[in-house]
Amino acid sequence: MAGMQKNADTLGTVHLDRLARPVAVAAARKNPGRRRRTLGSIGKHAVLIALGVTFIFPLLWMILTSVKPLPQAVTFPPVWIPHPLDVPNYPQALSAEPFASYFFHTLYYCVTTVVGVLVSGSLVAYGFSRIKWPGRDTLFYVMVATMLLPFIVTLIPLFVLYKEIGWVGSYNPLIIPTFFGSSVFSTFLLRQFFMTIPETLSDAARIDGANEFVIFTRIILPLAKPALATIALFQFIYAWNDFLGPLIYLDKSSLYPISIGLSEFLGQYTTNWPWLMAASTVATLPMIALFFLTQKTFIQGITLTGTKG
Amino acid sequence: MTRHKTRRFDARTRRRLRTGLLFVSPWVVGFLAFTLYPFLATLFYSFTNYDIVSDARWVGLANYQNLMHDSLFWTALWNTAFYTILEVPLSTVVAIGLAMLLNMKVKGLAIYRTVFYLPTVVPIVASSILWLWLFNPSFGIVNDFLSDVHVSGPGWMFSTLWAKPTFVLLGIWGSGAPMVVYLAALQGVPKEMYEVAYIEGANAWQRIRYVMLPMISPAILFNVILALVACLQYFTQAYVMTQGGPDNSTLFYSLYLYQQAFQDLHLGYASAMAWILFVIVLVITLLLFRSSSRWVYYAGRD
Repeated sequence: MAGMQKNADTLGTVHLDRLARPVAVAAARKNPGRRRRTLGSIGKHAVLIALGVTFIFPLLWMILTSVKPLPQAVTFPPVWIPHPLDVPNYPQALSAEPFASYFFHTLYYCVTTVVGVLVSGSLVAYGFSRIKWPGRDTLFYVMVATMLLPFIVTLIPLFVLYKEIGWVGSYNPLIIPTFFGSSVFSTFLLRQFFMTIPETLSDAARIDGANEFVIFTRIILPLAKPALATIALFQFIYAWNDFLGPLIYLDKSSLYPISIGLSEFLGQYTTNWPWLMAASTVATLPMIALFFLTQKTFIQGITLTGTKG
Repeated sequence: MTRHKTRRFDARTRRRLRTGLLFVSPWVVGFLAFTLYPFLATLFYSFTNYDIVSDARWVGLANYQNLMHDSLFWTALWNTAFYTILEVPLSTVVAIGLAMLLNMKVKGLAIYRTVFYLPTVVPIVASSILWLWLFNPSFGIVNDFLSDVHVSGPGWMFSTLWAKPTFVLLGIWGSGAPMVVYLAALQGVPKEMYEVAYIEGANAWQRIRYVMLPMISPAILFNVILALVACLQYFTQAYVMTQGGPDNSTLFYSLYLYQQAFQDLHLGYASAMAWILFVIVLVITLLLFRSSSRWVYYAGRD
């Protein structure tokens, strides 16, 4: 017991002790148990709060810096609370580069590829899960294996190909492949979800004479709404973040999305930290808003990828 | 009777094959055009001199031989290995640790989970710029914290010694994504297993080592493979923050490949690099999968 008390501040111990404690033992030692539980609970929260502050601090610092007058940002030791609040950093930074155009193109890239991924992903996932045909699983494993293929291995010939057919300098190389199942991850996720829908639903419809396409659109897709929402969300975020694709295929600044625009901005205003932080904040906020609006879908989705397999 | 049945089954199978293939045809077309073709073409290009402007010229193994004598190639390989070897284990330990903390039936679980996950939704370019600012040697808040405890902070991104670890810290800040996967896996471990281990006299470490880790080992395999593949292709953060500097200490493999291909237009040379990377990824994932039969435990499959 003394040894355990000594360990009470190491969280793993407390946690597992609590989980593992047999009910009978807990009942017999009700009081010391409760004291240790309170101690453990305080320690637990202390550690979680310390870690939480560490994780959230960089974002707070980004926002704090974004409303500082420049001289207060570039001083050491740093000024914590900006005085006065320099909110005009935002309009100034955003008009220093064509951010409106960056946002428009990012949105265009996000929305079109979300459509592409939803359409091709659901069709392909259906073919890989709801119909039994010879060779299906072999082909599925080939598809899964391509997930591990480094992006950069196929990049050079694709660039040459797109250059020859005149796609370089447009969003085509980024959008069109998504209509051909290029987002294997999304297809995989949907397929995993389709597998969990009872086969009897399809069978009943087949007996009623429905063909596969009808079953797909009328039965499976409505049931798969949460999974479809998840892959739409993931693709939206992927496109919003994508840097290497636009860097390689877009050669005109008038076409840049926010990711490239932001890195151009860094090149232009290397030392104007308040402006840089204001622009970064503006690029980040939509993602954070999206995360809060769709948190449930989000967590479900990640959980689905990692545990069912 | 039997023959009749078999034939009818075959016709049905054929019909299913047709429908099935029809459904997966978008991917099949995409796979052939956007994956298999370029995958093989990279191999072909790797045996040529090619700059897009003029036709590819066959040079045999020259690109591979030149790579072996290219000190920057070895630097890039070393930088990538260094980053991967630090980043994968550290972020795995942090992610599992955070998941264990959150699995303790804490009040406000959803809030903590959000806080740890939030950094992963920050766009990479934005978090890279933010990292430059936090770790700025002159005005950065990190060096201010260090000076509070009487440590004079290093030059971080501007120091050949500290640049790579600074990238590792940025990676660890993003541990929230694997953490959510581990948390889901931990929640799937039956409490009775810990109880039995406790009654049998297992101490806390033994319960982690012999109960918890085996039970979440499929999630570990999944996350480690994803992390490895991502680390070996590490690009955007280095491109935005350091462009490979100082003194090539953050010239990661993909960054050097990008420079060779798209800045110097040495497409053949870069293709050879791409194939070497492919072989490295292939070997590492195969080794991991082969070793997994020894350390990954699938419940209900023995």
